[in-house]
Amino acid sequence: MFSRLIYRNAKRNRKENLIYFATLVTAVASFYIILSLGRQDVILFLKEFESDAIDKLLAQMPIVYLFSLFLLFFLTLFANRYQLNRRSKEFGLYLMLGMRKERLILQLLAEGFITSILALIGGILIGGFLAEIISLTVSKLVGQGIIGHQISLSVGAIFFTIVGFLFIQFIALAILGGRLFNQEVHQLLYEQMDKKQDMGHLKGNVINILVGSILLGAAYWIVLYRFMDFAGLILFAALALGSLGTILFMRGFAKLLGLLANMSERKSTKGLHTFTLRQFQENIANRSTSVAVTSILIMLAIILLTDGASTIMGLENVYTRGPAIYDFTVNSDNQKAEQFLTSEKMVSYVEDLNFLEIGQMKYQDEHGEDDLPLSLVDWSKLREQLIMALPSNYREQILSGEMQYYDISSENPEALNLFGVLEIDATKPYLIPETSYNGLLEAIGETPLNLDSDEIALYFNPDFMPMDDVDIMPVLDRILEDALEERQSLMSINDQEVFIHPSIPMRGLVADRSVEITSAFIVPDQMFEQLLDTETYVSYWNFCIPQKLQEQQGLMKAMMEARDLLQSSGFEFESYLQNFGRKLFYVVAGSYTTLYLGFLFLIIACTVIALQFLTQMKQTGQRYVTLSVLGAKRKQMKQSVHRQVLLTFLLPMSLACVSGAVGIRAMISFVIIYFDDQVLLYPIALTFACLVLGIFVIYGVAVARSADHEIDKLRWKPNID
Amino acid sequence: MVRQGKLLEVQDLQKNYGKKNNITKALNGVSFDVLPGEFLGIMGPSGSGKTTLLNCIATIIKPTSGRVLLNGENISAFDSKDLAEYRGSRIGYLFQDFELLDNLTGQENILLPLSIHGIDFAKAHTKLDDLAFFLEITDILNKFPSQMSGGQKQRVAAARSLISNPDIVLADEPTGALDTRSARTLMNKLEGINRSRGRTILMVSHDPNAASFCSRILFIQDGVIFHELRRKHDESQEKFYERILHLLAQLGGGSVNVL
Repeated sequence: MFSRLIYRNAKRNRKENLIYFATLVTAVASFYIILSLGRQDVILFLKEFESDAIDKLLAQMPIVYLFSLFLLFFLTLFANRYQLNRRSKEFGLYLMLGMRKERLILQLLAEGFITSILALIGGILIGGFLAEIISLTVSKLVGQGIIGHQISLSVGAIFFTIVGFLFIQFIALAILGGRLFNQEVHQLLYEQMDKKQDMGHLKGNVINILVGSILLGAAYWIVLYRFMDFAGLILFAALALGSLGTILFMRGFAKLLGLLANMSERKSTKGLHTFTLRQFQENIANRSTSVAVTSILIMLAIILLTDGASTIMGLENVYTRGPAIYDFTVNSDNQKAEQFLTSEKMVSYVEDLNFLEIGQMKYQDEHGEDDLPLSLVDWSKLREQLIMALPSNYREQILSGEMQYYDISSENPEALNLFGVLEIDATKPYLIPETSYNGLLEAIGETPLNLDSDEIALYFNPDFMPMDDVDIMPVLDRILEDALEERQSLMSINDQEVFIHPSIPMRGLVADRSVEITSAFIVPDQMFEQLLDTETYVSYWNFCIPQKLQEQQGLMKAMMEARDLLQSSGFEFESYLQNFGRKLFYVVAGSYTTLYLGFLFLIIACTVIALQFLTQMKQTGQRYVTLSVLGAKRKQMKQSVHRQVLLTFLLPMSLACVSGAVGIRAMISFVIIYFDDQVLLYPIALTFACLVLGIFVIYGVAVARSADHEIDKLRWKPNID
Repeated sequence: MVRQGKLLEVQDLQKNYGKKNNITKALNGVSFDVLPGEFLGIMGPSGSGKTTLLNCIATIIKPTSGRVLLNGENISAFDSKDLAEYRGSRIGYLFQDFELLDNLTGQENILLPLSIHGIDFAKAHTKLDDLAFFLEITDILNKFPSQMSGGQKQRVAAARSLISNPDIVLADEPTGALDTRSARTLMNKLEGINRSRGRTILMVSHDPNAASFCSRILFIQDGVIFHELRRKHDESQEKFYERILHLLAQLGGGSVNVL
């Protein structure tokens, strides 16, 4: 008998209160999604190159899990409280019939357990499905064929989802059961909304709204103009001010609505206008804090989603190759490497095989006065010319010795960057033999250098040196041209005058990060041998995947195959895949957590608004009965309810949109988020706006339908006197 | 066909509750007329069917058989759409527990029936001021129900029931939740409205004191009307009260044939 009652009650709970059950299912699904991250295709893929970074990311997931556990605890607490409030009369009745309170609470826990189990089944199914969809979408976005698909089902994730969810559900029910334990039977039987219609004094509320607005304004100001002060710590002040401001604003807003209701006397003859406003006012006034909290949550959601979306836009960047042209760099100079790379097994994967030698220049044999080694390079004339080419303010700073260090940046004039790089590097420059660089030039279809024996070329690494065009340096070329006209040499090495070749196309020397130099002198092979400091000598074999193979299989697939072959050979190597993986990792790690939390906040906010509205609806049901006795038609009442739902959702959302817009504006101006792809900007912004609106609409419609249902259920129950 | 002189006609009204084998006859053929300007009371012990009768007239419940004619129109046969038009505009209600909406001010509560029926508010302003003055609630119009006393609430409710100039006001134990003094004030006001403004009132009560303000009282028991008392033209309220008490004592004494 007892067990049947439990079973039936649990069933009725789910049927009658779909929003309650949906909340529980959502909670479960979100746990599962975050916990199964490690099984996502893209993560498995990245683990192969960036295992350290991925491990670090996955190590952070328990924190996100605990955080969402904490958030969802409040959500289940709230949902359960709503559910128990609905049934308080029934509980009163059980107690009247002689059920012991302990037994009642036990029954509640048992009912909660059954509901939880079903929520777990539903939630894990939905969560698993969503995780699968996310996994597939991401691998499709990243590129089909690059990432193999695996079912993302994770036993560990299921286990922790169950444990976490049952834990918060139990705690929530225990807390609420305890509260129930302390209530009088009368309270349970005749529970009604607190009849506090005191909407506060006009003065107090005007002050509330004023202070609220001022605090919000201050928060906006801080965020917009003082974002980075005190190492970003001031942001917390802004957050605190903004939250307090939102709460006060909402509190004051309720009274403003009262005034509005008073003022709109003309409109008050049109149906239930006044009633609608008053209902809305009551809902806001009695729960201003939680309305403010939902508003803050929505704001955070908007900001997080924008951040996540902007990171996704960076996905395009992952595919645009940087200045590096080689796909693979094998870190070995011996013959074996060459033999392997030209072997039959590899030959179909290898094109533009190039032997890159690199090393630093020797110092002079004799030391200087302060026992420091002396450079073989004398570039004083070039230095002079570069200083002359600088804008006057920089020139003065350099000439007066004010400038102590040099920032290489895209905002500097070209001459300053050149000057800075050479000032640091020219003492002991890196040397690249002409043949090595010619190989690179041939690979990109440029003509080889063909240097004279007293001629060198300057190489600047485009990864570190900002250039508008990697093929020309206009300022440098002009200086060199002028010098050539006058047959003047701007540099001497080892007391021999050398001429500098006009600027050449510049590309990355290796596939990824084996060689990280800012500049080098490209010298005739003979000069390389003469000037090389043999201790600094390194060499690499570079090659590309043949164009034909790329067209047949796609670059990624061919690269993966070549990588597998190289891995089995035992050579040390690096590939463009690492570069790609690293960039992909930033996108994935940057977007996954922010988007997850963004959607979580949004769903929590919507659920809180929805449950709050339905609670009020339930508690004030008698009013609708009175209205119908006074002649209101059901249609009229439903219209009023729909309007109430709309207002209830719009209020926190509007303020959140304003605050969110300010937040986003600030993040853009301080380049925390960055929209670099204008083509994708609108589609992605539109998609996310639609997603957010869609979630609101779903919740709004669900609430409106439940409310309609409540109105349909209303009956005037005459007591047979 | 409009029958001159009769505002409300109740004809052989029956209301059954329950199913086939277990029928409770709450009303078992009740018939009576109400004339314009009357203050009619309906008295009866608990379970006599008086509230069922009132609810049938109020169109809140549908009778099993019989007719209720208001100004000759059979309102018991109306569908719910027509009924909504009727409620609050042609019929005013006064409830035992006031049924004010506690998140609306007094004034907003009073004007609610007009809003619902989309009646122009501007014309009602004089009416509101007049009613508020008469019922002595001018000072509390901008207060919320929680800031009013029980008597004030019921007078606000009375104003609400009168604002749309209904043909008849139905009052269900209007003094039931009030203390003696407030009850007396309210009844004085209702009597005043009936006498000086000619408003027809139909009141259900089991309080002889309240009933003594009526001009005629029907006694109902077990779903049938079995007796009627009329207040004589020059009879004081106190005298009428004594007559009612006397009758009730006889009833309590077990004599059914009071005449």
